[in-house]
Amino acid sequence: MKPTLAWRVFRIVLIVMIAAWSLGPILVGVLTSVSPQTDVQAVPAHWLPGALNLDGYRALLGSYQKEGGVVVTSEAGSFLHAMFNSATLTVESVLVLLLLAVFSGYAFSRLHFRGRGLIFGGLIGTLVIPVFVLVVPLFRIMADLHLIGTQIGLILIYVTANAPLAVWLFYNYCREIPIETEHAALMDGCTRVQALIKVVLPQMTSGIAALAAIMMLAVWGEFLIPLLFAPTLATKPVTVLITEFFGKYTTNYPLIAAAGVLALLPPAMIAILLNRYIRGMLTGWS
Amino acid sequence: MGSEPAGRRTALARLFGSDQPRRVGARQEARLGWVLVLPLVAVMLGLVFYPLVEGLSMSTRSINFGTGVADHFVGLRNYIEALGASETRAAALHTLGYLILALTLEIAGGLAIALVLNKPFRGRGLVFAIVILPWALPSVVSGVLWARIFNPDNGLLNSLLLQLHLIHTYKVWFASPFWSIAFVTLVHVWGVVPLISLILLSGLQGIPENLYGAARVDGAGAITRFRYITLPLLRPALAVALTTGTVIALAIFDEIFVLNGTALNTRSVMMQVYLTTFQQLNFGQGTALAVVLSLATGMFALAYMGRFRRAAQ
Repeated sequence: MKPTLAWRVFRIVLIVMIAAWSLGPILVGVLTSVSPQTDVQAVPAHWLPGALNLDGYRALLGSYQKEGGVVVTSEAGSFLHAMFNSATLTVESVLVLLLLAVFSGYAFSRLHFRGRGLIFGGLIGTLVIPVFVLVVPLFRIMADLHLIGTQIGLILIYVTANAPLAVWLFYNYCREIPIETEHAALMDGCTRVQALIKVVLPQMTSGIAALAAIMMLAVWGEFLIPLLFAPTLATKPVTVLITEFFGKYTTNYPLIAAAGVLALLPPAMIAILLNRYIRGMLTGWS
Repeated sequence: MGSEPAGRRTALARLFGSDQPRRVGARQEARLGWVLVLPLVAVMLGLVFYPLVEGLSMSTRSINFGTGVADHFVGLRNYIEALGASETRAAALHTLGYLILALTLEIAGGLAIALVLNKPFRGRGLVFAIVILPWALPSVVSGVLWARIFNPDNGLLNSLLLQLHLIHTYKVWFASPFWSIAFVTLVHVWGVVPLISLILLSGLQGIPENLYGAARVDGAGAITRFRYITLPLLRPALAVALTTGTVIALAIFDEIFVLNGTALNTRSVMMQVYLTTFQQLNFGQGTALAVVLSLATGMFALAYMGRFRRAAQ
C-alpha cells in the first residue's frame, strides 16, 4: 500500500507525539539536574536553566575529600558504591539467568523427557505469584542461611524472580529457530550435547543477546526486593539509594534529578544499543 | 553420551528416516533434558515452592512481631481481618481504579504506537529505541523524573497550567483523590505502554498482508478493514497484552512509593501488604493479603485466557 500524503503527515505527527511523550520526562530530569537551585524553586517554574549548575553531579561523583589526612566523603561514597552494586548484581544475576534460561529453554522446546509439560506448566504458573507472598518466608530462609545483605542472597532472589519470564521468552525463541541444522548435525553423528554446543548455540546468539538485554533491564530496575534484602550499603543498589535521597535532600532537586539521570544511563544505553535484539525477541525477528 | 559409535548411529538414523532423529537415542535425549532442566527445578523448588507453602502456612497462623502474640494456628482469621479492614478496602478500590485506567490507556496507546510502527519507514529503528526507553528505566527513576512535573510547590505541571490560566493557584495534586490516582496511573502507564505496544505489534505483524489487499479490492475502507480484519486477528495478542497489563497493574508499588509514599489516598493492595508486613510487622495478616492478591491475579489471567480460547473457536 503506497501511503497517501495525508497518512504520511499524520504518521509524522504521531511519531513526534510519541517521541515527546517518551523523552519528555527524561528531558525534564536532565534539565532539572543541571539547573541552579533558584531556577528549580522559582514560581512560576523556569523550564530552561539560566545557568549551568553541576553541583548535583559533583556531590554524587566527586572524589573523596581529605582534610588533614582524614577522609571526608561526600555523597560520592554512597552513590558510586550503590552504582557499583547495581552493576555487579546485574552482571552476575544475568549470567546465572542466561545459563538457566538458555539451557532450560532449549530443553523444553526440543527435548522430550518425562514430566516436561508439568515442570514447564508449573514454571509459567509462578508468573502470577507476586513476590510478596514469598518475601516473608524467603526472608526467614535467607536469614537462617546468613544471606541477608549479601550479594549471593540477592542474586538468588533475583534469579528466582526472573527465571520464569526468562525461560518463557527463550522457549518461545527456540521454537522459531530452524531445527534442520540440529537434525543435520545429529545425522552427521554428533551427540545431542555436541550438536547443542557446536551448532545450536551459535544459532541462538541473537536470542541470547536479547535475553541478556531484557534481563539486565529487569534486574537493574529491581526495587522491592533490594529494599527488603539489601539493608546495608555493602549491597544496596542505586534504585533503593535514590529513594533515600528524597528524605535526605527534600529541596535539593538538582541533586535528586542528577541521581536519577545517572541511574538511568546504564539501562538507557542497553536499551538503545541492544534495541534491535530486544525488539526481535518481543515482536519476532524480521 | 557419546558411547555409541558414530557410524552405527548414522546408519540407524538413515533407517528411521531423516525427519525423526530423536527416535535414535531417546534415552540420551531424556537424560540431557533432565540434566539441563534440573538446576532450574532445584531453584524453583527451593526458592519458590517451599517458601510458597511456608507463606500459605504463615497466613493461617498468628505471627505478629508488632504485638508479640504467640504463634498459633488461627485458620482464616487473618484473611477475614485483612479483607475487612477499611484500609484494605480503600487499597482494593484504588488498585481496581489503577487497573481499569491503566489497561484502557495502555491498550489504546499501545495499539496506536503499534499501528504506527507496523510498516517499515526510514528511521523506524530510532523510533523503536525511543519507544522502549521509558520501559527500560527503573520505575523508581521514572518516579523521580515525573516528581518534578507534579511537585506542588514549583512543579512544571502547576506552572504550565497557571500560565495557561487553567488554574488559579498551585494545586497539591497528590492530595486530591482523583488526580492522585490519575497521575500515579500516568507514570505507571508511561513505563508499561512500550511493552504493551511491542506485544500488539507482534500480533499485527502476524496478520497476512494479502487479507488487506483482498479487502481493499472488495472496496473496504480503512475503518472497515480495521474492524473486520485487524481486530479479530489481533485477539490472541490482545489477550496476552491484557493479561500482562493486568498482572503488572495489580502489583503496582514502586511508582506509588516514590510519588506519594505510603499515604492512604494512593495506596494499592501491594502497598498495603508492605505496610502490614514490614511496618506493622503483622506477618500473618500481610501474607494472607498477599495470597488474596495472587489469587485475584490468577483469576484475572485465567479469565482472559478463557475468553480468548472461546473467541478463537
